Amino acid sequence: MAGSRAKPQQQREWMRGGSASMRGVLLGLVLERPGHGGDLANRMLMRLGETWRVDTNDAYRLLEQLEGEGLIQSRLEPPKSGGRRAMIVYHPTPTTSQALTMWMETLLPREPVRLGLHAKLAVARAEDAQRLLLALRDYEQKCLALAKLVTPNGGPQASWQALFMDCTREAVYTQLRAEIDWAAAARQRIAEHARRYPPR
Amino acid sequence: MRQLLQISDLGKAYPDGDGRISLFEHAAMEVAEGSHVGVYGRRHSGKSTLLRIAAGIERPDGGSVRFEGVELTTASPARLALLLRSRIAYVSVADWRPNSGESVAQHLALSLGGAGLTVGQAERRALRELDAVGVGGSEANSAACRLSLMDRTRVMLARAFAHTPRLVVVDDPVLTSSLNERDHVYAVLRELARERGIALLVASEDLTALQGFDVFVSISSRELCSSEGNATVVPFPAIARLGGSARDALS
Repeated sequence: MAGSRAKPQQQREWMRGGSASMRGVLLGLVLERPGHGGDLANRMLMRLGETWRVDTNDAYRLLEQLEGEGLIQSRLEPPKSGGRRAMIVYHPTPTTSQALTMWMETLLPREPVRLGLHAKLAVARAEDAQRLLLALRDYEQKCLALAKLVTPNGGPQASWQALFMDCTREAVYTQLRAEIDWAAAARQRIAEHARRYPPR
Repeated sequence: MRQLLQISDLGKAYPDGDGRISLFEHAAMEVAEGSHVGVYGRRHSGKSTLLRIAAGIERPDGGSVRFEGVELTTASPARLALLLRSRIAYVSVADWRPNSGESVAQHLALSLGGAGLTVGQAERRALRELDAVGVGGSEANSAACRLSLMDRTRVMLARAFAHTPRLVVVDDPVLTSSLNERDHVYAVLRELARERGIALLVASEDLTALQGFDVFVSISSRELCSSEGNATVVPFPAIARLGGSARDALS
């Protein structure tokens, strides 16, 4: 298998930069079902939700990058019934699944809003569940550790500086609280599902 | 730092119709001597249950709760009562029950009565402790049953610290919508504990209120997750059972 053998450094290139999460989601979607650029962009929007700015042109660009790294493969397919044009349809390659697994295992930046984890949840496979549960707990822990770093309020102070410092602290804590709640709720849902529908 | 309280493999469930609602499974946490541990969790996540178990007031279904080497889960009621009058102070603002007609200072002095003090000594001590939490002379002499919610909190904290315990356990202490008042009460709480080297275990559904604590612990999915990493080392109990159906949960 050519993909698993060569160029480990290059294989990781696609996981760098601001669009890494989008590329990861596209890999997951192609692995689930091959599709053309517009179809994949629509599925990405459906899966990630309106808070993500999914642009069809961006999707085409990212798909080309992924193909350039050998992680997906495009094929020109004849028009389907009723259609006029042939379509470029993206298919997984032998390396796609492995690349997705590598992305799932990648450590993510420590910013409170970890969109990467959100993206991973959107295309997770059954075998990723354990990684995600650990990642969610790890994330919850990191948010708690970040909360510790915020300088505490020293009590009542009547200055403007003290007021805006309090507002800044409130902003940080509100964001961290939302992230902790989300991580906790996601873990609870996965655990409850596993209890209700134990594997045969 | 020496561990004061160690909770391990904690299990707790409540009856619910024919079944049971599980609050904790294999949960673990520690409180080091003199450290301030803040427990964050949403409403009904099990904060109050955890704190009552930590203080020896409620027994868990399984696991171990050790305070200063004493196993609280098997200790006699007399031993637990003695601990709660000396080494552990448990504060729940909902438990405010002053006798009618007594002043704030008298209320606090009465609770100090068992400490071998004369009435005069207990009253002087009560006034000092009230002053430390920001309750001045005129409020100390006012009727205890007419206190505002904030002042009740202050008096209950004064009562908890007056016994010079090693661990103060506080269940969601602030009943106010004022953020400044909330921060003030927490600042007093942290400062008193720091000055006297007393460990704190405080639960709140407001993460911001816990700012400045040494350790943050969150309750989620029947586990305790700690900012210190080593507090929860047990594996997630459902992992081994997850299989093909997990995909449905994630899609």
